[in-house]
Formats: sequence, C-alpha cells, structure tokens
Amino acid sequence: MDAVLRQVEQLPALLAVSRSAQVRDWDCLTLDRALEWARYFQHLHHRFRARPQLREALGRRLRRSQPLPLLGFPALGRCPQLLGLALLENRALPPAACRCLLRGLLPPPGEGSGCDPRGLALLARRKAAARLLALVPGPEGQLQAEARLLLGRLREEGQEAAEAAGQLPWLRAALEQLPQPRACGVVAAALALLPQGCGTEQAGDTDRAAGSSQGGYQAGAAGDGCAAGLLLSWLLGDQERFSAFCLCLPSSQLAFLAGHYSQLSRSYLDLLTSWGSRLVYDPLQGRWVKSCLDKAELSWEELRERFICLCQGPALLREQTQAALELLRTRDGDFKVRGLSVWTDLLMEVGY
Amino acid sequence: MAQDPTVPKLNFEYWLDKAIEWGQATTLESQKDVCLHLSQLQEFLHQLYEAIKHLQGPTVVIQQFPLIGQLLGRLCWNPFVIGYDESQKTLMWCLCCLYSSEPQNAVELKANSWVRSLLCHLLSSSKWESNEAETSAFISALGYTSADYYCHLVKNMVVSLVRELRENQFNGLNIQESISASRVNAVSIFCVPLITLPDLAPLLETLLLYHGGSSKEILSSEFLESVNEAFLKKKISLPESVVFSLWLRHLPSLEKATLHLLDQVLSIQLNSLEEVACVIKDSLLPQAASHPAIFRIINEIFKSALMETDGTSEVLTVIQVFTQLFLQDHQNENKQHKFPLKAYFPYHHQPLVRRLVRRPFELPTTYWSEHVKHISDMVKALVEDTNASSLTDLFEIWFLVACFGEWLDIAAEQLLKAAVEPDPVLWLLAFYYCPKNENQQRTQTVVEAQAVYSHLMMLFNCADLSLKDLEAAVHRVMGTEQCCNQQFTTHLLTNFLLFSPGGHKIAQECIYHITEITDTSKEVHNLLIRTAHRFNHSGEENQRTVKLLNELLQKLTLKV
Repeated sequence: MDAVLRQVEQLPALLAVSRSAQVRDWDCLTLDRALEWARYFQHLHHRFRARPQLREALGRRLRRSQPLPLLGFPALGRCPQLLGLALLENRALPPAACRCLLRGLLPPPGEGSGCDPRGLALLARRKAAARLLALVPGPEGQLQAEARLLLGRLREEGQEAAEAAGQLPWLRAALEQLPQPRACGVVAAALALLPQGCGTEQAGDTDRAAGSSQGGYQAGAAGDGCAAGLLLSWLLGDQERFSAFCLCLPSSQLAFLAGHYSQLSRSYLDLLTSWGSRLVYDPLQGRWVKSCLDKAELSWEELRERFICLCQGPALLREQTQAALELLRTRDGDFKVRGLSVWTDLLMEVGY
Repeated sequence: MAQDPTVPKLNFEYWLDKAIEWGQATTLESQKDVCLHLSQLQEFLHQLYEAIKHLQGPTVVIQQFPLIGQLLGRLCWNPFVIGYDESQKTLMWCLCCLYSSEPQNAVELKANSWVRSLLCHLLSSSKWESNEAETSAFISALGYTSADYYCHLVKNMVVSLVRELRENQFNGLNIQESISASRVNAVSIFCVPLITLPDLAPLLETLLLYHGGSSKEILSSEFLESVNEAFLKKKISLPESVVFSLWLRHLPSLEKATLHLLDQVLSIQLNSLEEVACVIKDSLLPQAASHPAIFRIINEIFKSALMETDGTSEVLTVIQVFTQLFLQDHQNENKQHKFPLKAYFPYHHQPLVRRLVRRPFELPTTYWSEHVKHISDMVKALVEDTNASSLTDLFEIWFLVACFGEWLDIAAEQLLKAAVEPDPVLWLLAFYYCPKNENQQRTQTVVEAQAVYSHLMMLFNCADLSLKDLEAAVHRVMGTEQCCNQQFTTHLLTNFLLFSPGGHKIAQECIYHITEITDTSKEVHNLLIRTAHRFNHSGEENQRTVKLLNELLQKLTLKV
C-alpha cells in the first residue's frame, strides 16, 4: 500500500511534465511508459473507488503532492484522457513519439482492443453535435455545462477533503481562467443548479459505477452545502467582484439566487442600499440621477427594477426587502412624499 | 452517386467539389445536401483510408492524392460530416496516415503540424476558435478534459431543446406560438447526422412525437427517412409509441418498413411458424397496425407483393401470420378507444369479417365444420352476386379470405378428419386456389377436387397402402397443367398422408416422389410448418401424426 501511495504522488508531476517542454526528449519508449502509467492509475481508480478508506488515503496523498489541490482521487480515473489530450496539444512532443501517441489514441481497425478505447471518436462526435445543436439559437448551453463541471469538482472535493480552507485558493485560480463576466455567469448558474437537487449526479466521473454514485448520493446533500458555501465565499469575499457580479447578471436571476441563499440576499441588499444612497434627486428633471456618471453603479430605473424583482420572490425575501426599505425610509425621516428620500420613492414603486 | 466496387479508382474530384460546395454547411440547401450524401461519403472515406493506409509515408500519399489535404481539411470543418456515425473515426485515421514519425522535408513537417492542429480542433481546443481557449483553460484548471465538457454540453443542449419542445406542445392552443415551424424543421435537419448518438435519444423521441399547429409535416423528410433507416437496421431502438408516430406521419417510412419485413422473411430459411411470428413481431408492424390507417396501408403493400410474386406461398404465410398477430394484439388491448372491426375492413361484408376473425380456439372443435360451412356459403354468395363481381372485387374477397388462412387449413383438415358435407368445403378451397372463373377454371377445379376427394376417401381406411394405390391422385398432381389444381391436390394429398391410418407408412416416399418431380416442395414445406404450428397450439391427439409430421419436416428442411 505504501508503494501505491508513493506512486500516486507522481501523477501531478507526470501531468505537469506532459504539458511542459520536457517532452522534447521523449521517444516512443518513454511515451509508452507514460501511457502505461496513466492506465495503471486508472486501474487503481477502478480498484479502490468502492472502498472509502483507501480512496481517502489515496486522495489525501495526491492532494498533498500538489501546490494547489487540482487533482483528487477521481482524476486517477480520467488519467488516460488527461495525459493523452495534454500530450496531443503539446507542440514540443517530437514526431516519432507523437506518431506512437496517435496510434495509441486512435487505434486503426484490427489493431488494439475495441474500436474506441479512449472514447476519442465519441468526443469528436459530441463536439460536432454541440456545434450542430448550437446552430439553433437557444439558451447558453455552455454556461450550464461549465457550471455542472464546476459543481462536480466541488462535490468531489467535498467528499474527499475535510479541510475546506485549502479549497478557496484553488477555486479562485480556476475561476481566474475565465473573463470576469463569464466567471460570474458560471458561478450564478452553479448556484442556481444546487437547490434544484442535482446532487445525485457526479459530474465528470467518467465511470459511473454503482458503488461510486451511491457513495456520492449520501454525501450529496452535505457536499451541496459545502459547494454552495465555497462559491458564496468566493463571491462575497471581494467587494469589487461582488458588485461586478450584481451588475452583470439580470435582476430576475439575482432575485432567484437571493431567494435561496440568505447570505447572498443580505449582501445584495446592502449593495443596493449603498448604490441607492448615492443617487441624488434632480428637481429640474424631476427624477433621481447618479451623483457621478460611474458605470459601476445602478441608475434609478435599474435600481427600481431590482427591487421589484426582489419583491416578486418568495415570502421571506419579500419581507426582508420590505423591512429593509422601511428601515431606510425611517432613517431618512420617514417621508411619504416623493423626491425627498430615494427609499420612500422606491417603496411607492414596489407598492407598499 | 454509384461507386463501382470493382474499380478501385476513387471519385476524388467529385467529393472535393462537394466539400468545397458545402463549406461549413451554413445554408439550408448545403445542409440538406450533406445529409443526403452522408452514408456515401462515409463509404468513400473508408475506401480512401484503405487505399492510403499501407503507403509508406505522407509524401507518397500526397503524390497519389495531391488534393487530399484540401479534402480532409474542409471535411473537418463540416460538423455534419464529423457528427455522422463513424465518419469522424475514418477521417482521423486518414489524418494519421499523413503524419510522419521522421519528417524528411518541409512538406512533411508542414503536414505534421497541420495534422496536429486539425486533431486538436476535433478533439480539444482549436487554435482557430477564439472562444474555446478560455473554456478549455477553465476546464483544465478543474482537472477535467474536453471529453467531460462536451459530454455535459451535449446533454444540456438536448435537455433544453426537449424542454422547449414539450412546453410548446402543451401551449398548443396559444395563438402566439413560442416555437416556429421553421425552427423545429431546422432542429430536425441538424439531428440527421446524430441519430445514432445515444445522447440524442430523448430529442429524437420528442421530435417524433411533436405536433405543431399546422397540418403540414414540419419535420424534414431527411430526418424521418434517416430515423426509419436506423431503426430498421437496428442501429437505434425506439419506444413503440414513437415508432408508430413516425409511421403515421411519414408514409414512405411505413412502406419501407413493410418491404423490409417481407425481404427479411423471404430471404432467410425459416423452419417454423414461431420463427416467422418472432420476426414479424419484432418489426412492430402488427402492433402499429392497431391504427386502422396503418393496417390498411400495410395490406395494400401486401397485395402488391402478392401480385408481383404471383401469390407465392411464403408471402401468403407472412400475411396470415401478420393478421393473426394483429388480431391477438387487437383483442388483448384494454383501451377504451379500440377501433371497431369495420375500421380495419371497411369495404367488406361485415358478417363475413366477423366470422373470419373468430380464432379457431375460441370455438369448440365440434363447431368448426359448421363455421367453415357458413364462411363458404357467404363467400359463395358474394362471389356469385353478379352485381358485385368485377375483377377487383373478386380479388378483394379472395384477399380477405387468404388473410385468414388458418380457417382454410382447418377446412382441409376437417375434410379428412370429421364427417362433413364436402361440397361447401371443397368449393371454398377451390375458390382459394383458383378464384377466377372466366373460363370456368374454378368450376373445373371443384369437379377435379371432388374426384380426388372421393378417391382418397375410398382409400382412407385401408391399412395397407402402397404408392400404386395413390397413383391416380399423384398423377393428377403431376400431370395437370393448371397449377392451382396442382397446389390444391397436393394439399389434399398431404393431409391424407398425415391423417389416414394407412397413409403414414408411405408418407415419406410419396411426398419425396411428388416434390422430386414437381415444383411444389416449398408449398409442401409451408403447409407442414403451418400444420405443426397448429398442432402446437391446439394439441393434436394422435401422437403418430405428430411424429410423422416432425420427420417429414426434418427431411424436407434439408432439401429445400
């Protein structure tokens, strides 16, 4: 067992090398050895996935051997594809080795076992299918797919690692790969998926054996809470990020999320409050305007729309919003006439 | 575009022109055209791969096919081609043939780089698609591969399309439709290459069950044909309701399915009626026929098949078994909205239909001869009614009777086993074998049959029979010019051999004799199979008969 643990530590290094220029020196033999290792890791995954204690041990050792815990136990199962595709994309791989790689990834008929051992033909087909189905204009399938993978990963983490502390930097690093509006969209989609109870599905686990999915379901509910917690800490941890999030998402989606996550609704209301307080009343135009033309704030119309959406949410959210607005109105002097306090006007707009 | 298989020359230029014409398949015409050519293109790619796989190095390949790079490159950008069946595999193999492990010159170096870029384009992130780079970095950071990503992406897109279609179904009464017919049509075209991709199954089913507001068909015909093809070749499996929906809305598919069934049954040597029934049941046609429209169309196709094959016994057997299975299904249905029989046989004499539809096991065996007599009388009355005896009408009555061949077989059996009035039975069987009577052929047949029957009945109780005793009857079989008489007499003779005590001993010899000399081995085989099937279900008491039957079948099976 000790030997196995030491071997497993090598996985991150193997993947790192396969993406680096070090492959320049690889020949066919080295490549075959690397692919052998990948198959071996996959074999370990199959052997141990139904045995929780050994799973945990392997997962822990794997995590400790990386600066950022990118890979967990399930990554062992995906190893051949991870390695194969990484090598395919690595331009430094010399032609001879690359040819061996191609024969390994796409064995021609007659050679090798089965027609599509690495599932690459299926991958190419699915990629084409995604392009075909995208020809019909429709809702953003991409965001949903990315969100599901994110959730899957978070859940895997939730099962493997007890320490949530180590996860935030990893999450941050991953989300940094996307431009901010997109990252916000993905996180929003992920948060929206969680209450809909997609906890039974383990995203990304390429072999959905009965053992793993059953184990996954138990931890599903707990894992979901954990995942939500992590996403919210990422979101609320940075004020600038949070306000960018609230600016780029549509008000209905924000209201939906606020209805399900109380931390979110509080922070959101606080943010709306700070934006609202910066509006000034222009008596000449007879309406509320921004005090400075800073894009990173809401206009009166947008603010109103946000509050209306919030008041169309579940009862708790509605009450919370109403209470907040009333408190603010009272603080401002409890006026019942327009043009004196933005909160009075808002309360009138939302119908209270 | 027919590819001559004997000539190894590949029609390269044709496909290159096509690939250029299609581009990335962004217009409706190019999309439809690609869909029409998908399977031929796959075949071509396969042949191309076979031609280049043994060549030594990409330089040789390019010498033989200078434009191969252009062709493969363009095809890689056509998602219809990549999404289809196994084309992506063959295409990638061809690309690998252009990759060299030791590039000797600039061309080979360039080819290597180009092959890798194309493979990355197909499998992971493409340097030519700007929006893929961010996603792929994110996915990697999560520790996943493009395989995981595209798996989820396709599933999600399918789910959202299915939801959209289903929601629109229930809003059917809204004036403001949320999906336009052209959108649904477009979706159906984009699905054509993907029909055998398992992820798409929910979308296929939803599309096939989708009914928009208009009476015109909104699904593209390419889609409907391709789904039917895939279903008939057993590349996909669909729930029954979906298959019925497909056949109801697309007549050519139903026709193809029926013809496919006939081909299947006629091409394999089937040794028992149970096997035939199995194949027919698998085709789902008897079940689909619970829709009267489908039932009637299938029957029309059967009628044409009968005409074309001149009433061969195998086609008749298919029709008879099909009808039996249909009736079984129809009678077992508990649906409140079961169609009445009249819906299936609208132009026929309903009392006759009602009689024919009774399964033999529903009546006590003692009642069988009376039942047959009633049938015979009714048919005679209809046929001899001078007001209604055009040739078409005659054919329709004949076809109706032929569908329920079980009663005819029982009738022939009853002649020898029970004390019946022979004339109506003989008339009915004569009508079956010889329906036309312009030159008194049928009347003549009846007379002949009566003679044969009397002769056989005389010999019925003889214990010790020899072939010579039956010579007169056998000669009628062989000597007669009219083939309908031949079949009729063979039927009587075979039954005699099976059911008379003395006939057992000479049965093998006699049948061998007949089938050697005439062309009736298939008919005899068929008759024996049908009889065996009836014995299995109604239980023949005489064990010797059963044994003899099995022996005869075995011998005949080896010969046929």
